Amino acid sequence: MRIPVQINENSAEPLYRQVENQLRALIISGQLEEGTLLPSIREFASDLRCSVITVRRVYQDLENEGLLRTRQGTGTFVTGVEQEVRTRMGEENVRQLMNEMISRSYNMGWNRQQLEQLFQEILDTRESDS
Amino acid sequence: MNKTTAHHISDNYYMEDTDSVIVLKDVCKQRRQHKVGPLNWSLPHGCITALVGENGTGKSTLLHMLLRTLYPDSGEISWFGQSVQGEMPLELRQQIAYVSEKPSREEDRMTARTAGGFRAYWYPDWDEQQFDQLLQAFDVPADVQLSKISKGQRQKFELAAAIAAKPRLLLLDEPSSGLDPFAWKDMIIMLNQAMEQRDLTILITTHRMEEVKRLADYVVLMHQGQICGMQEKDELYQQWKEVWINPVQDIQTLNWLRECPGIIEWDDKPDGSVRILTADAQILQQTAEESGITTQVHGLEWEELLSCWVKDHHLKTDREARL
Repeated sequence: MRIPVQINENSAEPLYRQVENQLRALIISGQLEEGTLLPSIREFASDLRCSVITVRRVYQDLENEGLLRTRQGTGTFVTGVEQEVRTRMGEENVRQLMNEMISRSYNMGWNRQQLEQLFQEILDTRESDS
Repeated sequence: MNKTTAHHISDNYYMEDTDSVIVLKDVCKQRRQHKVGPLNWSLPHGCITALVGENGTGKSTLLHMLLRTLYPDSGEISWFGQSVQGEMPLELRQQIAYVSEKPSREEDRMTARTAGGFRAYWYPDWDEQQFDQLLQAFDVPADVQLSKISKGQRQKFELAAAIAAKPRLLLLDEPSSGLDPFAWKDMIIMLNQAMEQRDLTILITTHRMEEVKRLADYVVLMHQGQICGMQEKDELYQQWKEVWINPVQDIQTLNWLRECPGIIEWDDKPDGSVRILTADAQILQQTAEESGITTQVHGLEWEELLSCWVKDHHLKTDREARL
C-alpha cells in the first residue's frame, strides 16, 4: 500500500518529524484505518527515499503514542484510536500548527489585532467560496 | 568500537543496539600517487552504507583492504570482531561477497547456471533455489554464456550470485556503472529485497545520487585519501541549506547576520542579494525575519551537499590544527 506522505526538501523541519506528523495525521483522521498493515521499514524508507533509521524512529515514536503496534514476524499495524482520543489529538495537532504560524507572524512584526482580522477574513472567503 | 572518531560530524546520532561489522583503526596504505589514511571508521551492522567521493580518492583501495586483497601498511582492521594476520581465513571470507564494476573474465565462458555451481563450492550456505528465483525474476538467461548476455543481465547475474551466497557482508564497487535505467531499477529492488530477507550489511560505492536516495542509510565521504566522516543519510540531506536574502540597504544588519552560527559560505550578488550556505538555516531565517528581512530556504543538490561536507571537514581540521 502506498502511504500518502510527502517530503518537502526545502523545509527546515527535520525529515523524521515531517514523516511522523503526516503519518500521525493520517491515523488520527482515520484515513489509515484500524488494522492497516504498514509497509516494512526498508520498503517505506525506499518509497520515501529516506533511511531506515528515520522510519524506525517514526514507527517507534508512534508506537509509544499507542497509534501503531508491531507484531513479531507479521509487521506494523495501525491500532484503533478511540473517538475521544482522536478528537483530543486532532486538537493538539491543530494547536501546534497555529502556534507555529503565530510565532512566525509575530517574528515578522504582526500584532494580535492584525492576525485576528486576517484570520477572520480568510475564514470568511473560504466559506463564501464553498 | 571507536564511535567518536568515526562520526565526528554528527555526535548526537545513535546506532541502536547494532554493533559494527568492520572496524578500521589508523589504517594507512601508500599508493603510487597518494597516501590513503589514516582511516578510523566502523561500518554499521544491518544497514546499507554508501561510500562516496571523487575518483582516485581511495575508495577502491579501501574496498580491497576490506576484502584482504590488499594489506594495509599500518593500522588494524577487524571483521565481525575478528582481526586477521596474513591471509583472510576461509570461513571469514565466505561471509563476504563482492561485486565490482567489471565482472571477472574467468567466468566469461560459463553460463549463469554453471558459474553458480562453481560458486556453490566456495560458499557453503549457497542457496540454489534463491539463485534460480532471482535469475528468473530479473530475466537473466541461465543457459547462455555469460560473455554473450547484455551488460545489464551480466551485472544482475553477479548480484544474484552474490546474494545467493548468503553473505553477512556485501561489498559493491560501483555496481551500477554503465547500467541502463531498467537494469538499474532491478538492482535496487534486488538489494532492498535481500536486506529484507535476512541479516545483511551492504557497503556500496557510487556516484549516483538517486542510488544513495533509494538505498543508503548512512553515507561515508572520502576525500584525498581521508574519510571526512559518516552521516545518517537523512541528516546529511538536511545538514546544509541554501538561504537567499533579498537586497538589504543596511550594512550593519548584514554584518550581524554574518555572525550567525553555521555559515560556511557567504556570496554577495551584484544586485545586493546574498546567497548563503549554512548548517543552521533556522537561526539565520529567524534572525533575518526579526530584522524584517525576507529569506528563502532551499534544499541543496547532491553535489553541493558533498562540497559543503568537504569544506566543513577542512574548516574543522584547520581549526583543530590551530589549537
